[in-house]
Amino acid sequence: MLNLFVHTLREKRMFIFGWSLGLALLGYLMTAMFTSFGGGAIDELVESLPAGFEGLMGDLQDWKQLPGYIGSQVFDIRFPIFISILSILLAVGLTVGEEDKGQLRTLVSLPLSRMKIIIAKWTAIVLICLVATLATVGGILLALPTTGESLDLMVLVRLGLFTWLMVAALATVIFAVGLSTGKRSVTTTVGIVVTIGSFLLTTFAQSVAWLKDYEWLSFLHYFPAADIAKGTIVWENALFYAATIVVSLILVFVVFPRRDVKAL
Amino acid sequence: MGVVIETKNLSKVYAGVPAVDRASFSVKKGEVVGFVGLNGAGKSTTINMLMGFIRPSEGSVALFGEELTLPGAASSHQRIGFATGDMSLFDSMTGRQYHEFIARAYGVGSQSVVYQHLVDTFDPQLDKKISTLSRGNRQKIALIAAFMTEPELVILDEPSSGLDPLMQQHFLDLVREQAKKGTTIFMSSHYLNEVVDVCTRILLIKNGKLVKDIPASELEATSGKLVRVVTGKKVAPPASAEVVEREKHGHDYTLQFIYKDSPAVLHAWLGSLVDVKDMTINDHSVEAAFDDLYDVKEAEDA
Repeated sequence: MLNLFVHTLREKRMFIFGWSLGLALLGYLMTAMFTSFGGGAIDELVESLPAGFEGLMGDLQDWKQLPGYIGSQVFDIRFPIFISILSILLAVGLTVGEEDKGQLRTLVSLPLSRMKIIIAKWTAIVLICLVATLATVGGILLALPTTGESLDLMVLVRLGLFTWLMVAALATVIFAVGLSTGKRSVTTTVGIVVTIGSFLLTTFAQSVAWLKDYEWLSFLHYFPAADIAKGTIVWENALFYAATIVVSLILVFVVFPRRDVKAL
Repeated sequence: MGVVIETKNLSKVYAGVPAVDRASFSVKKGEVVGFVGLNGAGKSTTINMLMGFIRPSEGSVALFGEELTLPGAASSHQRIGFATGDMSLFDSMTGRQYHEFIARAYGVGSQSVVYQHLVDTFDPQLDKKISTLSRGNRQKIALIAAFMTEPELVILDEPSSGLDPLMQQHFLDLVREQAKKGTTIFMSSHYLNEVVDVCTRILLIKNGKLVKDIPASELEATSGKLVRVVTGKKVAPPASAEVVEREKHGHDYTLQFIYKDSPAVLHAWLGSLVDVKDMTINDHSVEAAFDDLYDVKEAEDA
């Protein structure tokens, strides 16, 4: 199993490197941009924007303090979207992508139980999500000196861990659908619907009254990054993601060992 | 001798159409069995069920005396080497890295004497990335992987496709060598000559049904010369000829037969013919013999 885990990481090394670099750059640039909102510029912006715009931009009052800015501008919108795309590509690639290429059949032909294949691949996915999250946090830390501000490290620890949990849950859902169905169209659709649907729902529920009743359906509903940055952690949210991971893993443990694996 | 593979009424149905239809056969330890059929006959589907990649719609597979299940197939795989003609390897690895990966999966050393012998036999490009290798070279990597763990059973699906004639010969030598060691080999192939060459038994599958289970020597024996003569008078064929066609069209008599005996006797028979209007003599290959077996079975079915 360790053999397959290491092999998976090796196969994905350029993916890990590229995404980590990109996300570190995102963290760095977004943090470095904080200084451009000083000198009352943010107050002018708050005055000029309609309230409904906060769905897209986050609470503009949060921008005045670095923790709130990082929570609302890095972890609330951009980073979850990018890392969600990473999780879709990764989970689709390691499940239906490998099956379509016939590589899953090659793995199944070895003395490796399907349970072990699931565990090795899932562990690799979760680790890659962690590396991407750490890279983003690293980018933020590198940019801190340019802001002239100090930041409580626990803010980043809380945001990083919660983001990791969220993206691990999303990746596990897609992974479970991919290995359970073996169908690229279904897996990709689920990934895109969950990611884009959640983004749209959470964004527009701020300004569209009737959407508010359905906002709980959004995967991002359980990830209030700005509140987490301020130190407010709702453990039920963490439980939701943890439960999503467990249920998805149960699904894949039950279905994948019993289903046909495609040949080329 | 123990039974290594045993299938009972093995069936697989896709969208109501049977890909494999109640195939029952067994393979004993040490046998080299060729699994032959046209494209779409059900060879790969059968092999996929033997390997536990897909679940039979009906019937069962037992390997080494134990019923195969999809979740439990991995335990049998410890004793099986597997390769296909379209084997998907891991492109970012080199051949050497792939073999190391296989060795670790089986818990064996990657630098054994057996491995070195296989490398010497096939002379693969081990240090190039698999993605850059030609189909034939990828096939060499896959075949080495199938045999390097010294498995008790090797299952091969079109194993020599992509190999050049020299490598194909090396592969056949390897199969013979493994057979002498007592390895059980179950291989499907499009190349009937190679199946007849190395296999002790041949299973013929047609439209998902197992239609023949014969010693390889029987298929080989059915090859010979295919003779067709059109004469103005009715003639009797040579004594040992196997008549395929005998018809009268107007004043012409057509006689077609397969002849496997002495060329001198055939030559003498041809010399004795009078009023010959047309004559063709072709090799009746193993392929043609195979076609005959297929057709015979079809006629029997009808």
